[in-house]
Amino acid sequence: MPRKNEKIGYACAYTPLVLIDAAGYIPYRILPMGECPDQAGQLLHDNLCPHVKRILDRAISKDLPDLAGVVFINSCDAMRRLSDAWRHVRPDDNIILLDLPAIADEAAVAFFAKELTRLIESLSEWSGRRITYSDIETSIDLYNKLPDIFAKLRERLRQGKLPGGSTRMQTLYNAAMMAPFKKSMVNLQQALAEPELPAPVTDGIPVFLFGNVLADPEAFTLFESCGARIIDDDLCTGSRLFTPLEIDGNKDLVLQISRGLMTRSPCARTFDPSQPLKMAEDILKRTRASGARGVIGQTIKFCDPYLDRLPAVRETLREAGIPLLLLEGDCSLRSIEQQRTRIEAFIEMFV
Amino acid sequence: MMYQYFKDMAAGIEAKILQDPELPNPRKKYALETAKLGSRLYSGKDRVAWCGIAVPFDLLNAMGITSCFVEFVGAVLASTGMADPFLEEAEQAGFVGDTCGYHRSVIGAARKKIMPEPDFLIATTCPCSGGIAIMENLAHLFNKDLFVLNVPQEDEPQNVRYLADQLKDMVDFISRHTGKPLDEDRLRQTIEHTNSACAIMKDAYRLAQKVPSPTNGSLLINFGIAFPLFLGTPAAIEIAQAYKEEFTDRIDNGIQGVPDEKLRLLWIQNRIQFKNPLVELLEKEYQANIVSDELNDIYWDPIDPDDPYTGMARRAITYPLNGSMQGRIKHLHKLARAYSLDGAINPCHWGCRQGTGARGLISDGLKEIGVPVLNLEVDCVDKRNFAEGQLRTRIEAFMEMLESRPRPWQ
Ligand code: SF4
Ligand code: SF4
Repeated sequence: MPRKNEKIGYACAYTPLVLIDAAGYIPYRILPMGECPDQAGQLLHDNLCPHVKRILDRAISKDLPDLAGVVFINSCDAMRRLSDAWRHVRPDDNIILLDLPAIADEAAVAFFAKELTRLIESLSEWSGRRITYSDIETSIDLYNKLPDIFAKLRERLRQGKLPGGSTRMQTLYNAAMMAPFKKSMVNLQQALAEPELPAPVTDGIPVFLFGNVLADPEAFTLFESCGARIIDDDLCTGSRLFTPLEIDGNKDLVLQISRGLMTRSPCARTFDPSQPLKMAEDILKRTRASGARGVIGQTIKFCDPYLDRLPAVRETLREAGIPLLLLEGDCSLRSIEQQRTRIEAFIEMFV
Repeated sequence: MMYQYFKDMAAGIEAKILQDPELPNPRKKYALETAKLGSRLYSGKDRVAWCGIAVPFDLLNAMGITSCFVEFVGAVLASTGMADPFLEEAEQAGFVGDTCGYHRSVIGAARKKIMPEPDFLIATTCPCSGGIAIMENLAHLFNKDLFVLNVPQEDEPQNVRYLADQLKDMVDFISRHTGKPLDEDRLRQTIEHTNSACAIMKDAYRLAQKVPSPTNGSLLINFGIAFPLFLGTPAAIEIAQAYKEEFTDRIDNGIQGVPDEKLRLLWIQNRIQFKNPLVELLEKEYQANIVSDELNDIYWDPIDPDDPYTGMARRAITYPLNGSMQGRIKHLHKLARAYSLDGAINPCHWGCRQGTGARGLISDGLKEIGVPVLNLEVDCVDKRNFAEGQLRTRIEAFMEMLESRPRPWQ
């Protein structure tokens, strides 16, 4: 049995949180935050994604809670190398790398389901307790309540009625990424029970934010101080992590979890070969649906999955006449602060 | 422009081979096949597929498809000194300089319309995230159908089955485009050709492992990456045979690849594709011989002609750049022992996350068995930032260090 409050680390939005919860562990997102000395570049390379390097820095500096294990996803080259490097710097840790296909057809979904079964076996081995079918069902029931509450909060944010705005929203996301589902639900329900802002915030230009990792709530405060009001997002550390898993009790549960994860709003690394670069159209659609007037793309330096798809996003938004600002960061608030003038200039275009 | 270039190149090499047809001439035969492939790609007559690196080219050859991995275009442009305008074109289109130079030059070439339009594209998730993203871009740019092969990370039976099934689906995808089903007899014969070529090439590599080595830093340049393009064809057998004969001949006659070979080196992953003086520096000033490249190896078992998909799937999964670093380091250890290496050079190609992202792990892994690694900082395709002086200094220091220490395998 896992000890009380025992955690399993993870670093990617494709991680099957429900299985970690079903095993009795707390899924703990290892965020690329904190002030650890920069050492990972030596082992990996300076031109590797700072998201991954900062996580490795935390591992090297032991800036982590006790972890019963870590689940990595083969989402990109950098993540593969992170799992290799983790094994190197913390050889005694329990770790597993789940292989995630780049497309989400039926065969890929079935393949990823086998990877999930491998995870179930590992978690059972690490905890000394077999995960049962009903454990998974219970966790799914719990988990599926979170996206719904988040959707309601996001709607409030969109209407300018969420106290604390997008900074608050990110704080809630971060808490939910690291707390047990039950606790997250209580937190979120409390947030939902709070009164909406009596007069909706309407100042600031409504902006749709997409990209990969942006977890520091202060970054959102910074955007807002530049006159941008983030009304919706498509980020790995935001809306993408909490989407409901549609489950039909009569079918193979693991296969359904696999399908749910693989077919949720994809990050750049998963695509549909029959509609190449559809990601650009998806961003346009989400922007229009949110009512945003502009788009900010915030990506992490050296992230190939995004770098190679951003030209299409730029082109699509240009054709649609929607202004786009691309920012490249290293997960630190400083890197966004350095771009303050660009953000301000972007917002001024609308005024 | 490119068609004429390859055509002229093929004619020139052919003429040279004919001057002395009795000589094995391996490098020329290999270059000739490369030029012929280039001219077929550009002829406008063949059915063409642009592919990812881990595609089983023998299977495509069996289906009569002229196919090539897209990075080949980047390598050719760089080696002929023509890459710069294409890199600039890609950068202007928003593909930033932090990405792999092979991919930037390919995108530039496609945008400038010097890449032949394919009939379809086949991408592979191995070896890199950048590669698959570029294939998605190319499919969009050419507006052609894209098939994706997900290459699993580990050599496990269910993973092999998954990839083998995808290969069968790929055959259906190709047949739908060509209107021709796969001829099973032809596939069988193709696999037999692959196995023969690989068996001969294995012998040739074994000969190259001799101390001193009959090979040198140029004879097998880029070989392990490009050789798979010819698998399944008689040309692959002929090339392999020519290397075997050349090396046998050299060993019999006491001809060393690098006269008075003093140090033996491994080149990790890709060579620097544009003209540069580093190999000559190593050979002339230090009698240091690059006896092998990391990918110059037949690392897979012969493929069973009765069950070809399983063998082809395993070959892709066990590709040294696929899977965990543990597997890659194991392979590097194997090469280090087989070639009695003194050291290794890792160019750390800028923009290659899967490769340079493993820089420290590769260094530590080879250090474990007493083989030091020199990590360079270079873009193997983009010569615009090539810092020759700096690289020279680093190589000189590394060579002096190697010369002053006992050789690991003596
Ligand atoms: S930010 Fe990009 S490169 Fe980094 S881990 Fe995520 S997908 Fe990979
Ligand atoms: S050099 Fe690296 S990034 Fe570039 S094509 Fe090769 S494996 Fe991919």
